[in-house]
Parts: sequence; structure tokens; C-alpha cells
Amino acid sequence: MRRIAATEASRTGWSRGHIVPTLFVLVTLLVAATQARAIPVFNRQTGQNCVACHAGGQFPDLTSYGRLFKLTGYTIGEHALPLAAMGVASYNKTRSTASPDPSFDSPANLPKDGNLIFQTGSVFLGGKVTNNLGAFVQFTYNNYDHQSASDSHWIGHTVSDNLDVRYVDRFIQPGRDLIVGATMNNNPGVQDVWNSIPAWGYNVVPGSTGPATTPLVAGGLAQNVAGFGAYAYWNRTLYAEVTGYRTANGVWSFMSQGFNAERGDQAIVKGVNPYWRLALTHDWGPHSAMVGTFGFDAKVFPDPTDPTGSTSNYRDVGVDGQYQYILDPHAVTLTASYIHEHVHYADSLANQAPPLDPDGSLGLPLTNASDTLKMFRAKASYSYNAKYGGSVSYFDVTGSTNSALQSSAFDPSNPGMLLDGSQGVTGNLSGNPGTSGWTLEAFWLPIQNVRLGIEYTMFNRFNGASSNYDGFGRSAKDNDTLFLYAWAAF
Amino acid sequence: MKCANLTLGLAIAALAAGCGSIERSRALNDPGVPAAATAQQVCSNCHGIDGNSVSPNFPRLAAQQKDYLVAQLTGFRTHHRSDPAGFEYMWGLSRHLTDAQIEGLAAYFAAQKPVANAPGDPALAVRGAQVFKQGVPAKEIPPCQSCHGVDGQGNGAFPRLAGQHADYIEKQLLVFQRTDERPEGAVMKTVAHLLTRDNMAAVANYLQGLPPK
Repeated sequence: MRRIAATEASRTGWSRGHIVPTLFVLVTLLVAATQARAIPVFNRQTGQNCVACHAGGQFPDLTSYGRLFKLTGYTIGEHALPLAAMGVASYNKTRSTASPDPSFDSPANLPKDGNLIFQTGSVFLGGKVTNNLGAFVQFTYNNYDHQSASDSHWIGHTVSDNLDVRYVDRFIQPGRDLIVGATMNNNPGVQDVWNSIPAWGYNVVPGSTGPATTPLVAGGLAQNVAGFGAYAYWNRTLYAEVTGYRTANGVWSFMSQGFNAERGDQAIVKGVNPYWRLALTHDWGPHSAMVGTFGFDAKVFPDPTDPTGSTSNYRDVGVDGQYQYILDPHAVTLTASYIHEHVHYADSLANQAPPLDPDGSLGLPLTNASDTLKMFRAKASYSYNAKYGGSVSYFDVTGSTNSALQSSAFDPSNPGMLLDGSQGVTGNLSGNPGTSGWTLEAFWLPIQNVRLGIEYTMFNRFNGASSNYDGFGRSAKDNDTLFLYAWAAF
Repeated sequence: MKCANLTLGLAIAALAAGCGSIERSRALNDPGVPAAATAQQVCSNCHGIDGNSVSPNFPRLAAQQKDYLVAQLTGFRTHHRSDPAGFEYMWGLSRHLTDAQIEGLAAYFAAQKPVANAPGDPALAVRGAQVFKQGVPAKEIPPCQSCHGVDGQGNGAFPRLAGQHADYIEKQLLVFQRTDERPEGAVMKTVAHLLTRDNMAAVANYLQGLPPK
């Protein structure tokens, strides 16, 4: 399992230096709003509106046609300027930033809280290259990428983002329609066309919040690996794909730009790691449905700076489904996925003294040799006339308890007193990753390539408990987050 | 490993150089692409390979009148037809089709065999049959069949309606009634302007259930 920022949205800072990029984004949004002809790559390539490929205009959810556009390798249409850009400005407010322990500086833990920020900006390259070859390549500048080790100020950074290059052919005869393709991509699942797979399913607005610990296939190796795979879609009914992922280094390092020691080293995987996907689909009237299964086996070296010895072996297996009803002016998309992960840790991580108790004085158990993690997510979204809409989503992560996750514990020599690592807001007393909650969203598209939205995420459970999850009295609901965003592509 | 990487890279470059067949091209600005290729590789995504679209968002084109199809594609290309479904989906796709390709696409779909659609609402269909066959004499609305044929099969510039999705027919009747977005169908504006929503739903449900002939 991987650790990601619990409330990634709430961990960034604000200074006068950020006013300029924020203003830039706001001005850009205004310009975009007045020049509806400024349009992204695929839009120029086909001349179609966003709503042709995105359900109710709600990017990135795909329509039936959008799925076929992607499966046929982004090759429909004509060559166009292969360049587009996207910007996200956001504001978030966490329900409580109070810390019962005065030794914690709460604003330092939630430094982005209550500030309007320029979150990310992306550049897209790609579109149709030949009649069979097309690409979707994204590079992203994250204005709040990581904090300086010396003085904790936030550092912006440009990194590789989603990449998917395809070579496709489609054979049509009476009663037979076969799409066969090859994909090169840098995130298991980014090549998928249904929005129930983690890569495109949930928390897709940059900066939005969700569970702290998620299975590896849910972005754990995104932009760390290079995948090469083949797929087939038969009679618009059966989809099958196998892709192997290796470390995106050497000649493939263009897919993993941006890693460094300060922001975190690139993960190193051993050999070729298989990802597979099967899906059954059916369209009837204005409805379309998919039931599917997917999985990812990966061997990850525990220390990316020393990729030798035994690896942590992950086995993720998922089942998912999607239902869509699209009949203008209505677009409804329902998605659900359940992922079961079993990880067997590398020797250097298994049965070790936990980070909080290196000398064993606290009496914490040794770290586990293996863990299981289960994640269920479901989302229902509706869009009216590709203008207004909303969504409700639910997430529930459960898993085995592991002292490796503990960042606070009771002090055995001072009964009733707590010891703590360094994490206040994201502290974990139990060592259990269990997190669940709901996200409500409403959005408005004043023009087709600008989306303004408001999200509210409510946590029922966080780091294994609904109350006092950190040992210092913080409740899961204290992490409830209001999130406003302006998202534009042009 | 380096060698394997290089081989793979070269293989990808070779593929990128393009060895795809124009018979299976999805290019929309190449006059050399046969109409059947465009119909199967592009149009089929929404309208079905045989023109019998599944989603009512997209009209059925199987056995549609060739003249009508030519007029619509030309109308999309010149932006004369500007109803939302038209400009959102069709303006871009048609912008660089040649006259010959438009002729070819129209011929392709006109030659397809229509498949029966799901029957419409029976009660509405009964009332719709009346409108279709007799019109609404009190409002001087002529019977639809006088132009579209007794079996709804269409005639030249008058489109085939038999088996068409009810939702599509209703939406287009509203376009004719309320807008000037389909100027080539001005005659329909006269006919449609006194139709009630109930008339529209009735005739649309009748037509969706009309068997192919």
C-alpha cells in the first residue's frame, strides 16, 4: 500500500509569490470564457464539441463515442495543432485545523487551508499522428509540488503526467467489428476507457481530497513506470487487454520526468509487471453498461536508491462496473469499483521495528510481513444540458493493522500520555488505514471548456477510527473539506 | 536491456511511419478515403455500422433517402443546418468531406437494410397513426404520409421516418417549430407550427414502431 497525502489539497502554502500565478489563472479563465474558440487538441482534430466525447460535457467521463475515440487511438479526424493547456485554481477549507496539542503548529499541517491558489497547470501534446497512431501526453506544473527540506516553503515543479500513445487498427466486416491496438503508457489504468478504474474515476479534479491509503493500482506507480500492452475490443462487447510495466528509466525516462531526492525518488520495480483487464459491454437505447475485472501484480524494491534484494510483492484484483444513460439533455453516469490488495513486504520491511519505536521501548509490535487492503468506491453523477450537474461519491478503505503506519502511541512509562511522531493532522494511533466518507459535488460549465465546481468531502472514518484517530482527540470529521475549483482547458 | 529498448523504440517508429490501409482510415480530410471506410470507421461509432443506431441520441440512417442524406451532410458542412445535435457532433466531422465523399456516404447508408426498432408507446402510437395518416384537419395540418410515404419510407428530399427513434423525431419537430436552425426544412416549419407536444409524441411513437418496408 502506498501513503499519499491524506488531504493533499490541504498541505500547501500561500505567500505573496503565489498571487501572480493565481491572477494568471483567473485572467486565463476570463480569456477562455470570452474566446470559446480556443479549444483543446481533440476538439480541433474532430471539430466536435466536448459533449461528443465527455458525458454531459463533464471531463474526463467518456461517452460511448468518446470510448471508441480513445480505443481507436485518438485517430479520428485530421491533424491539428497538437497542443492544449489546462489550468486549475482552487480554494479549500478544512472543518477544523485545531490541534489539541499546542506543540503542533496546525497551520503548518494545513498550510493551504483557506487560501485561493493556483493548483496546477498542464500542457497536452498529442492527437492524431498517423491514421493508426495517436497520443495523449500531459505534462503538469504543480505549483505546490513539495516542501523545501530546509525551510518548508512550497516548491513548484514540472513533472510527467498521464501519457498514452496508441497504435490501432479496426477491422469491420458484416457482423464483425474488431479493434486491436497497442498502448504505451505510464500509469496502470490510464489507458482504460471506463471511468470506474481509479486512474480516471475518482478525485479527478487536481487538489481534491480522499482516502489516505489506497491500493497500488490506484495511482501508486503513476508516472513511475512504462507500460507496453495490447488490447482487443470485439463487436463492441468484449474488451481484453494485457500490459506489462517496467521502471520508466533509460530511454523511457521521458514518461517519468520530475523525480528527485527532495520531492521523492522514482519507484523502481523489478522486471516486467503485468496488468490485465477484461470487460463486457452492452448498449441498448440510451443506456450503456459495463462489467469488468482488472488486476495488477507488481514487485517494488523497498529502497529506490538501492534496487537490490527482495521486493514487496503486490497483487491487486478489482471488479468494476459502469452504467450510463445519455439522452440529451440528460447524462447520468454510475460507476463502482472494488479492489482487493494483498502485499507481501520485502525482507527489509517485514517484521521490523516500527518507525515510531525503533528501540522497542514502547512495546509496539513488529511491522507486518504482509497486509491486505480493500477499497470500494462508487460515484453517481448527473449533468443537465452539459451545463449544470453534480455528483455523489462514496469511498471505503479497510485493511489490516500494521505498526508501520503508526505515527502516535501511548507512552508506557507515563500512563495516559501520548508520544507522537511528527504528523499532527495525519497522525495514526491504531496503525489501521481504514478511511471512509462521502463527497458531494456541484458544478457549472459556463462554456464547454470551463468548469466551476464545489465539493464537500465528509469523513466517517479516518486512519482506522471515527474519533481520536491520532490519539490527540482529532476526529475523522475534522478533516471534512470544502473545495472550490475553477478548471479550464484551452 | 538497452538493445531491447532500442528495438522496441525502432519498432514503434516504424509503426509511426504509417503502414495503415486507407481502406480502414479514420481521416476526415483526405479525399482519397473511400466513403465506406469513413462510414464504417467513423460514422458507425454513433450511427451503427449498418446505419441502425442503438442510441436515440443519433438518428437511424439505414435505408434513408440518399438525396436527404446528401442535403443534411452538405448542410452540416456549410453550417446551414445548425440545430444543437447538428453543430455539436456533425459540423466538425463534415467540414472537409468532398462532394464525392458526401455522395458516397449517402449511398452507403441508403443501401443499408433497416432493422425494426423497439415499438413505441402503444396508446401514443394509436393517436400518432391518425396524425400520420390523416393529419389534424381542424388545424389544417396535412397528413405526414402525403410527403413521407404511406409506409414512412420517405421520398427524395423527404426523409424516411419509419423506424426512426421517437426521441429524435420529437426533438427535430421542436427544432422546426421553434427555430430556424434547419432552413432547408422550411416546409416543416409550416407543418409543425401548430402541432402540440402531444401530437409530436404520438406521431414519433407511431413512427418508431413502423416496421421496415
